[in-house]
Amino acid sequence: MAVTERDVLDALRHIQDPDLKRDIVSLGFVRDVRVEGAVVRLEIRLTTPACPVKDQMQAEARRALEKLPGVREADVRMTSEVRGSAATDKTAIAGVKNLIAVGSGKGGVGKSTVAVNLALALSSSGARVGLLDADIYGPSLPIMMGLSQEGVQAVGERLIPPVAHGVRFLSMGFMAPGDQPLIWRGPMAHKALQQTLFGAEWGELDYLLIDLPPGTGDVHLTLVQSVALTGGVIVSTPQDVGLVISRKTLRMFQQTRVHLLGMVENMSYYLCPHCGERDDIFGHGGAEKAAASLDVPFLGAVPLDRRVREQADVGKPIVISDPESPAAVAYRDIAGKLAQQVSIRSFETPQVTIVEE
Amino acid sequence: MSDPRAATPTEIRKQGGARLVITWADGHSGTYAALYLRGSCPCAHCVDEVTGRRRVGPLQVVPDVELVKVSPVGNYAVQLDWSDGHRTGIYSFDYLRSICPCEICRPR
Repeated sequence: MAVTERDVLDALRHIQDPDLKRDIVSLGFVRDVRVEGAVVRLEIRLTTPACPVKDQMQAEARRALEKLPGVREADVRMTSEVRGSAATDKTAIAGVKNLIAVGSGKGGVGKSTVAVNLALALSSSGARVGLLDADIYGPSLPIMMGLSQEGVQAVGERLIPPVAHGVRFLSMGFMAPGDQPLIWRGPMAHKALQQTLFGAEWGELDYLLIDLPPGTGDVHLTLVQSVALTGGVIVSTPQDVGLVISRKTLRMFQQTRVHLLGMVENMSYYLCPHCGERDDIFGHGGAEKAAASLDVPFLGAVPLDRRVREQADVGKPIVISDPESPAAVAYRDIAGKLAQQVSIRSFETPQVTIVEE
Repeated sequence: MSDPRAATPTEIRKQGGARLVITWADGHSGTYAALYLRGSCPCAHCVDEVTGRRRVGPLQVVPDVELVKVSPVGNYAVQLDWSDGHRTGIYSFDYLRSICPCEICRPR
């Protein structure tokens, strides 16, 4: 007696997505079930290619299917399709599924370095990723991405973001002529942000990361008023001083209903390049404690490693230049957790409908 | 307001130019007349930024003022356009819930 599609689905109903806490059948992840004699073929479509439990889920599914009487072989293909989570269509950017703001309470915590490495780590998992540098006070991302204003092309009025290491990139700094510093009043920052968000051909993106200026200011307000963000990530160092201010950023996110996807601790500990010994120079674990007390997911800690800076300075962030280094491994891990949080969010985003009679 | 659903709308319904009906995630629903809503505009023109005193209330606007347009603002608010040309008010969901004019929220 051959198994039916129903038997297959029933067997898979026991497998839960650990984050969404629902079984993969009711979530609609199981697709394209085909029973060919003693061989069962199907697809499990996850919500992110960066899913950390992908292999585990594949093994579980295969085990469950091969236990069915009459099944000799189970061919389980793992694919992914990132879900969008914009609250209302009107304020979303066409083609962009998730907008993630990366912020920090103060400058100097390495927020831009974290943003660029997360973008590259998400991209290396197979996701389509864009990065917008909205830090008008110290745009360092062009250097880290190895891109300059000259790389930006325009079709009519629309800007085409140049691509580096597979990531589409624009900087608000590109809106100013040459290498002049950006001495902008609010309205100009507002205009430059609008131009880079809505006046650019971002194309189809799973994640667009926006590197915010430190603190809470014009750019933040413009951003939260112009688009429905999927959520925000806060980067801080283990020091408490940094954390008190991070809480301000957190409160601003809360007041404007931006969901907190999590906190990242940067410069968490120092890895000696000679002996590899670990030294908690700033006192490790501050951000994790703060995240727990604020009831925000802790996404992970990145070590202080000279190579992180050196490679970034020459336009090759560590995730690309040294993918097996502890910092790069940490970034990929954090990117996976971030993608999980985005997936969870996409299943719980409240939808506001505006009806006109 | 301990229940976060209390200030999360599920539907904002504009009934012509006369009123706005908001249904909240906790099941509550409130009907806001145009004049009341226009007179509660939270913008810096209508409420003095320094003193917090209201400068433009229901008595300062034309009584037959109509609601022209409702636009979403990020995840947290709506912007309302009025027939008198005023459109600088960003009404956050928290604010809208706090001024709900229904009998339960505003007992006489």
